[in-house]
Amino acid sequence: MSAATLPRPAVAARPARRRSPQLGGSLAGYATMLFATVVLGLPLVWLLLASLKTPEELYQVPLQWLPGSPSLDNYAQAAGAIPLGRLLANSIGLTVVGAGLKVALGLACAYALVFLDFPFKKLVFGLVIATLMIPPQITIIPNYTLVASIGWLNTYQGILVPGLASAFGTFLFRQHFLTLPASVLEAAELDGAGHWRRLWKFVVPMSTPTLAAVALVSVVTEWNDYLWPFLVVDHADKMTLPVGLTLLQNTDGMSNWGVLLAATVVVTLPILLVFLILQRRLVAGLTAGAVTG
Amino acid sequence: MTTVVTPRPSGLPDAPSARAGTPPAGPPPATRTRSRLGARRRRKALLWALLLAGPNVLLIVVFVYRPLLQSLYLSTLQWNLGSPSARFVGLGNYVEWFTAPTTGRVVGTTLVFTVATVGGAMVLGLGLALLLNRRLRGRGVARTVAFAPYVLSGFAVGILWLFMFDPRYGLVQELLGWVGLESPAWYTARPWPLVMVIVVYLWKNLGYVALIYLAGLQAVPQDLRDAAALDGASSARTLRSIVLPLLTPTTFFLLVTMMLSSLQSFDIIKAMTQGGPLGSTTTLMYSIYEESFVGGRAGYASAVATVLFLVLLAVTAVQMRYVQRKVHYA
Amino acid sequence: MSHRPARRTRTAVAALAAASVLALTACGGPSVGATSSGDSSPDASADVDWSQVEPAKEITWWSNHPGQSQELEQQLIDDFTEETGIEVDLVTAGADYDEVAQRFQAASQTDELPDLVIASDVWWFRYHLNDQIMPVDDVMEFLDADAEDFQPALYADYEYDDQHWAVPYARSTPLFYYNKDLWEAAGLPDRGPQTWDELVEWDAKVKPEVPKGGSTFGLSTGPSWGAWWFENMIWGHDGAYSDGFDLTLDTPEAIAGGEFVRDLFHGSGVATLSADDAMADFSSGLIASTVGSTGSLKGALDAASFEVGTAYLPDGPKGGGTPTGGTGLAIPSSRTPEQQLAAAMFLEFLTNTENTATFSQATGYMPVRTSAVESDAMKKTYEQTPQFRTAVDQLADKARVQDDVRVFVPGADALLNEALEQIVIEDADPKTAFKAIAPRIETAYTENVEPYL
Repeated sequence: MSAATLPRPAVAARPARRRSPQLGGSLAGYATMLFATVVLGLPLVWLLLASLKTPEELYQVPLQWLPGSPSLDNYAQAAGAIPLGRLLANSIGLTVVGAGLKVALGLACAYALVFLDFPFKKLVFGLVIATLMIPPQITIIPNYTLVASIGWLNTYQGILVPGLASAFGTFLFRQHFLTLPASVLEAAELDGAGHWRRLWKFVVPMSTPTLAAVALVSVVTEWNDYLWPFLVVDHADKMTLPVGLTLLQNTDGMSNWGVLLAATVVVTLPILLVFLILQRRLVAGLTAGAVTG
Repeated sequence: MTTVVTPRPSGLPDAPSARAGTPPAGPPPATRTRSRLGARRRRKALLWALLLAGPNVLLIVVFVYRPLLQSLYLSTLQWNLGSPSARFVGLGNYVEWFTAPTTGRVVGTTLVFTVATVGGAMVLGLGLALLLNRRLRGRGVARTVAFAPYVLSGFAVGILWLFMFDPRYGLVQELLGWVGLESPAWYTARPWPLVMVIVVYLWKNLGYVALIYLAGLQAVPQDLRDAAALDGASSARTLRSIVLPLLTPTTFFLLVTMMLSSLQSFDIIKAMTQGGPLGSTTTLMYSIYEESFVGGRAGYASAVATVLFLVLLAVTAVQMRYVQRKVHYA
Repeated sequence: MSHRPARRTRTAVAALAAASVLALTACGGPSVGATSSGDSSPDASADVDWSQVEPAKEITWWSNHPGQSQELEQQLIDDFTEETGIEVDLVTAGADYDEVAQRFQAASQTDELPDLVIASDVWWFRYHLNDQIMPVDDVMEFLDADAEDFQPALYADYEYDDQHWAVPYARSTPLFYYNKDLWEAAGLPDRGPQTWDELVEWDAKVKPEVPKGGSTFGLSTGPSWGAWWFENMIWGHDGAYSDGFDLTLDTPEAIAGGEFVRDLFHGSGVATLSADDAMADFSSGLIASTVGSTGSLKGALDAASFEVGTAYLPDGPKGGGTPTGGTGLAIPSSRTPEQQLAAAMFLEFLTNTENTATFSQATGYMPVRTSAVESDAMKKTYEQTPQFRTAVDQLADKARVQDDVRVFVPGADALLNEALEQIVIEDADPKTAFKAIAPRIETAYTENVEPYL
């Protein structure tokens, strides 16, 4: 059923605002939206508030909503127990490099798959995409022993390289490249532009939303990666933030929620900020994978 | 003019649009020249392909397929992780898994978890998307807030919610108290730990589903809706007969990705319940981790991982074949 | 439309690719075939002449800082480095004993092993079975470490095949903790109950004093924990997990122990299950008494706003006893003699009289040397805070070697905990619960222990 075949209705103008008969619906709508926003957003606010409370305030019944005198004591304790600054630097460095490389790999691979003709192309594409279905658990132990046997434990490359291969990025880029007007590229080819030039002068500029999306998704995945860095690194100076969270947990004794939550804030805040600033790009690119417009 | 098409994940031939715009074949040049030019072009293309796609493919082969194969090999062994030697048992590990008394529980838990998280996320996500699609003020903020949990670390989210679910000091029990309900023993009384984990997973992924659906909704032409409204159709009817069918590609995409993601879920369970109590939150994925790292049975764990992998393959294949038939292309 | 290269080239490429992938598959992983490594144990250390070895300048220590001892451990390290010039890299290898052990297992096929590692009561034997640690008798003798001075019960725990495979470090017994203020308000004597039945009797008096949602007695379960304190209850009914390696979970005595704990939670309702950490609930005053490790003592004293009482674990109708627990330290066998010697030197330092006393004062764990227990420093501590003494006295009076199955069979502790949780959480029939885990423990034994013995 094609949208184009429907005749346009006689009434062309759409009402800019709903009128009174719909006000009841609007009210319900606003109420639901408010409820959804609260449910989805309150925990994060709660996280922040709790991280500023003292242990007495935290373990209190009935619940105390606001911290009596907000103090950064928990943060100080967390920073004292684990090298927060170093962890933050590690996370940032690994995320930037990792995401950057992933984008580059996905971009290049997708270009080859769409614009080049070579043997086994379908197989290669299938191979790349199929990895989306391979659960990480099945590859972790063999990868661990491989990484260990080449001496990459407790190194940055050990954390980074095994996860570097790009499947989702390749997929998104490919979907996008398929929609690019071939005429432009054909013209460029006829003008004598080689693949490299075509890639950087034409394809990339025409793909900024996808680029941003893949970059952001990669950033999010790299930052939040937990199990692999946990296995590969045991020296705190090479750890990433989420792994550092584990350092704070102590079961032989009593767990200090305030400190743990403060560390959780540090893990969460940077990625949240990145998201808030760049969300439009992220959303646009992600949805492009599901819907092409 | 927008079209809604599905992405085509794997194995399907290149979309014809890639070839669109190929110049019509003119009179062929002399055969010898053509094949020589062709040969050079082929080689050049191959070189470029190696350069551009090579690194990615190499990484995939070394860090995904090689371990996959090695894992299959390991699944035929009885290997106590940490020991330098192992014993070959052929299909023994698989037989053991299929006949183990705990397997039924693990499979059941996985089913419940998957259906609840995927189904719940799809339904709630669609609802939220429909809501956000209306021209209500402040929906930009709502959209941002809804999507934020998706970008957070699963482990961190688990920690936060563990704190919130504390039966004595947690926010959840406080809020339940406001509506006169008593907080169940979230951590210990079955089935609440599983419910808890499902809730957290939904919370984290709801925004993602909503946003994808929102994009799909925005691709539904307003003319259609207006026409239906003019014809006197209620919004419910419009939803059912027009919007939902047009959304099937999006639904299909989400079904596939959400199911894959749910079956691989780990961080949240690790942070909150570690598979307990009494294995009530041990999904197939978690049992793999447990068997290899806690129980030390790396060979057995590899066998379970292989089973999970095959399940994922099967699920996706079924969805590709069966569901795609129901997809409407505009 | 696409020009395909010759068939031969394609096949060649494919074959090459497949071969290289398969070849890579062989990287890492175990060697298949050998099942018993009994006679071929790589005990290089047995033949090492320690006097010829120069200790390494830098070693790595994997710890989980039991009793929140990270700062203290670092302090001890600094003292050691000052004295010997050997640097020690303190690594937090996990949040608890299990995590450290799991990481150690995963790393054992590689070079990234520590030189000294935490070896808890249910893990050290698995290390030994996998030939991952070296016996310490020789090197300790060379260092004049005076192994006789170690508390006999604690050191003997690591003995197998006439050798010791680890040295005690943060050792504990479970204690009965009670809230002295609540006890007083309830009109009870200032002591722990002699028997579990007495606690049940006292429940009527204590319950009214306890805040809403609380209880007279609370417990928590979990791996490396639940099956530990439960041993006392099962022994109290003259039962046991096993006799040697023979499971005795189906005996009426063991089942009686199971029935007892079931009744405690679901019958008389004296006990409640703590959602997360029973010690936290205790320190906050929610539950009036609990069973906790002596290693949590310092933490409890600091956190509680009331006076903390400690006592022996109560007896059952047929007697009682306490298991010991906590962790020792082991030296991996695959390290170089230089590293091993340095590690042993540090080990000796950590567990010498003065330092084990300091460690005990800061956490509550027992001093591992008899000389430390009798030292002036500890005497003073015991005078000021007699609670520190309880575990030491209990060790002397009521310690009993843990049942073999829990300590020697990998995964058995987790399974026993599972059965316990069935009873405590689900109100399951102990007979059924034990029956469910017995075959799995058997499998673990035949797979993981028997072939290696």
